[in-house]
Amino acid sequence: MTNGQPTPFPGQSDKIVQVDNLSKKYGENVAVNGISFSLTKGEVFAFLGPNGAGKTTTVEILECLRNPTGGQANVLGYDVSKRSDQAEIRKRIGVLPQDFNAIDRLTVRENINYFGAMFKRQLDADKLIELVDLKDKRDEQFKSLSGGLKQRVGLAVSLVNDPDVVFLDEPTTGLDPRARRDVWGVVERLKSQGKTVFLTTHYMDEAEYLADIVSIIDHGQIIASGTPDQLIDAHGGKKTLIIRDAGQEGLKQLPPGLPKAELRNAGDIAVPLNNGELTSILMSLGTTPLHDKEIEVRRPTLDDVFLNLTGRRVSEEGN
Amino acid sequence: MRSRIYTIISGHFKSWYRSKSNIFWTIAFPLLLIVLFGAIFGNGSTKFDLYVQNQDLVANAPTSLSQGYVNNLTSTGAFSIHVVAAEQTDPITYIKNDAQLHNRGQRLLVIPLGFQTTLNTTHQAKIQLYMDQSDQASASLAGIVNAATVSYAARLSPTADNVSVQQVGIVTRNIRYIDFFIPGVIGMTLLTTGVFGAVNTNGRYRELKIIKKLATTPLSKIEWILGMVGYQMILATISLVVILFFGYAIFGVTATIDLYTVGLVVAAALLFPGIGMVLANFVKEAESADAAANAITFPMMFLAGTFWPRETLPDIMKIIANFMPLTYVNDGLRDALIYAEPAQALTNTIIALGLAAFFIVLGSVLMNWKEE
Repeated sequence: MTNGQPTPFPGQSDKIVQVDNLSKKYGENVAVNGISFSLTKGEVFAFLGPNGAGKTTTVEILECLRNPTGGQANVLGYDVSKRSDQAEIRKRIGVLPQDFNAIDRLTVRENINYFGAMFKRQLDADKLIELVDLKDKRDEQFKSLSGGLKQRVGLAVSLVNDPDVVFLDEPTTGLDPRARRDVWGVVERLKSQGKTVFLTTHYMDEAEYLADIVSIIDHGQIIASGTPDQLIDAHGGKKTLIIRDAGQEGLKQLPPGLPKAELRNAGDIAVPLNNGELTSILMSLGTTPLHDKEIEVRRPTLDDVFLNLTGRRVSEEGN
Repeated sequence: MRSRIYTIISGHFKSWYRSKSNIFWTIAFPLLLIVLFGAIFGNGSTKFDLYVQNQDLVANAPTSLSQGYVNNLTSTGAFSIHVVAAEQTDPITYIKNDAQLHNRGQRLLVIPLGFQTTLNTTHQAKIQLYMDQSDQASASLAGIVNAATVSYAARLSPTADNVSVQQVGIVTRNIRYIDFFIPGVIGMTLLTTGVFGAVNTNGRYRELKIIKKLATTPLSKIEWILGMVGYQMILATISLVVILFFGYAIFGVTATIDLYTVGLVVAAALLFPGIGMVLANFVKEAESADAAANAITFPMMFLAGTFWPRETLPDIMKIIANFMPLTYVNDGLRDALIYAEPAQALTNTIIALGLAAFFIVLGSVLMNWKEE
């Protein structure tokens, strides 16, 4: 580093985060095992995996809260392991820790100003309140807010220094579906403003909805990376034709040539689709008693990707 | 840096005054204690308090003549007699402390060993009456003691004045229990606000991930600690002023605020949060840390001379009290605010500042700012 300016990675000046072969051990326990990835300016990057996979350890290394055991991690061109670089990183990142709560008896506005006062560069609290849509609540104490609103305060607090990159650690865990959607809305707004966002989550739909790039981590190792579409195409399996409420009887009424059709829990029939098969299957169904059933084509999701890669699904609780 | 520390102080302070329970424990509870203890121990007796030490024992029982003298005093109905054990080697210090605790007059009558023998052989015996001769009530009491003694001697031998009372002047501080108690309440308040304040901010704020969030900003650990100490100093000053004002308004307690008082407030604002930080480090869960804080503060409150003089404690407890930091804060505050004894105030202030430096440094070193 010279003159306090970050040294860009050679040929990669738009790399906001660069991680190479990063490891973290706690005694004998390996939390992060030689992972590598990078994050480009303006991207929303999702670090996706179940609880205990190593997501928070990784993000906390990038936030200079933990020291890595091995490998290299740079944020904004600064080395997270160097004390002098850490001071620069802290000035320029925004962080929403997992399960963060602001100060109970301060109002929304006071909390934003409180955390803002830690930085030289501080955005106007009212503008942030507008961004997270909390205008009506700005003078209410934090303790009186619902979980979703509290998380939006956390988001505002994480943006208070106009950071070059925002780290959001499990920002929607424990929220109800509506509150989750509200948080997604804020992340989308950040994305539209060109902010770089590093998101950890165990919600597959969240990563698929918000992220430009997803890295899936399991047992401390990255098992796949790419855009959601790339991951689904590569690891998601086939599309599925769903015939709603057809039941056991419907299975017998299927035209011949669909040997892999199966009955699912709610009485739906699922038929795996190969490329180019859809039209012919629909036409053949038209000649059967199933022609008036509701039909839908289901695309594989990141859930399927995770299932195919690890042989298990991640529960709602992240286990 | 100054702005960050100011923000930390202001954040703590707003959180404090917006919580009714905080206001209660910091302001209302100490005042309530003062009223309660003042009411319980403040009622003076209409009789004269008189401590009596009968040293004239045979086989651990008072001799008949010495007991007769005490009975004669009691029969006047003018005294509330409080017996001091014969084996008490420093009865004057004892009665000073005990009288202070119970809000009694500091007067001691000593019947010396050999009283009966001397009276039988020489027909002359002396009894010592220790009292503050400048005290108006003591002068009246001395008159009654003299009269009772003359009547006792007359009964023994109608023709001879063979028992005399020798008055010995002692310097008393003329300190009432409430004068003693108020600095103790201040010490107790500084202890609880400091220890619990630090346990709360370093335990609960850790659980709420507030400290983790702050650690990702340019705020340093030392700034955070300075902010917490600054807030404690403001609280300590508020407690001191409110309690002293209340003590003056209700009980007429007059106190002198000097440099030692300032030194002790600074020491307390470092010492007790330092202890709290050490606790919060060893007991990570906020709830358990709270229990640990109770376990530390309650014995300290009772043994360190908050409610009664340490001299009245059993010997083993006195030794334990010497290891309690609150002891030096309480003693120092009394020396500075009430007793006007600068030499002792200085000693206690230096000890308190030394302990404060030790605990705040230990707490700061132990406190994890980063995660590991």
